Amino acid sequence: MADFFEEYKGYPNYEKMAIHDEAHGKQIRKKLWMVFWIMLVVTIIELVIGAFANDKLSELNKEYVFIFFTVAKAFFIVWVFMHLGDEKKAMKYVIIAPYTLFIFYLAFMVITEGAYTSTIRDVLEGVLLHH
Amino acid sequence: MSNQATLQLRKDWDGGVSPLGVSYGKLFMWFFLVSDALTFSSLLCAYGFMRHKFTGQWAEPNKVFTHFPFTEASLPLAYVGFMTFDLIMSSVTMVLAVEAGHRKSRKEVIMWLFFTIIGGLIFVGSQCWEWYHFITGPESGPYHDVTRRFIMNGKEVIDTHFSGANLLANSYTLLPTFGDFFFCITGFHGFHVFSGVIINIIILSMVALGIMDKKGHYEMVEKAGLYWHFVDLVWVFVFTFFYLL
Repeated sequence: MADFFEEYKGYPNYEKMAIHDEAHGKQIRKKLWMVFWIMLVVTIIELVIGAFANDKLSELNKEYVFIFFTVAKAFFIVWVFMHLGDEKKAMKYVIIAPYTLFIFYLAFMVITEGAYTSTIRDVLEGVLLHH
Repeated sequence: MSNQATLQLRKDWDGGVSPLGVSYGKLFMWFFLVSDALTFSSLLCAYGFMRHKFTGQWAEPNKVFTHFPFTEASLPLAYVGFMTFDLIMSSVTMVLAVEAGHRKSRKEVIMWLFFTIIGGLIFVGSQCWEWYHFITGPESGPYHDVTRRFIMNGKEVIDTHFSGANLLANSYTLLPTFGDFFFCITGFHGFHVFSGVIINIIILSMVALGIMDKKGHYEMVEKAGLYWHFVDLVWVFVFTFFYLL
């Protein structure tokens, strides 16, 4: 057992890998504040559309516009604030791939089914009314 | 594959190092967040199902959420905009705390974590206020004087005037499911914010006691930060699907 631990003494200290100096920190902070301003502007655009231009967009266009802005914000949070962009390629895939695979499939199934249920209910109600 | 790439792969995956290049604790924080994200996504997908099933009958959010503290004026989505700004702001202070931790600057970590906790508490308080106004509701509207029949405690109850919202009915639409999803998803998210505040308070006291300095690194702050950013991430989606669409 003692040999086992002896062998792994060379294990890298991952906890200390992100440690950096003041000059590098200044650069990172600049990037963080820039991302903050981007997210703030996107949120204000979303709010203005949501509060004042809600009736001018069709239901489908509204979904595309808002989901595009939302995914953009989600990307900035995950990539910059959660530092996933700084991780190794393998780590990025381990986190992003299974999630996207499941959720795109689930969202597709559920929304197709919901729209179908809506149509079939209208058809059935029409049949009931006419007979 | 080139020879060099193969060598790198062998170096990464032949043992002795973490192939993903992260510490054990951080990796499992990420795994937890992925599973939590799947939970939230399935809740939001169920919500999407109902939205598409009842197209045209759903409540319009810019007519439901119009109130703002200290004023009677109708300001659509203004308060929820403030809540979003608050959460983004606290996310920035958290990431600054993480950055300060990487420079081992204890004072700065304490300051930024403190601001993050304040932002979280403002958010939880705002959500309480929002729920209160959603539950009590406005005095009049298109769906107030509708005859509703409930089964309560095994007895049938007929209600001809109803204002606000509960799990059985709401005065914003004819669909009780609108209120159900609102309470379920924003409540689940609010509970995450609450537990995030508790985690941040624990981490702040650990930093103040000098435990991180004894360890020689501030990775605990980074792990708490991952959770806190995840809460912000979920809010971005909840905000879109409940208040904008």
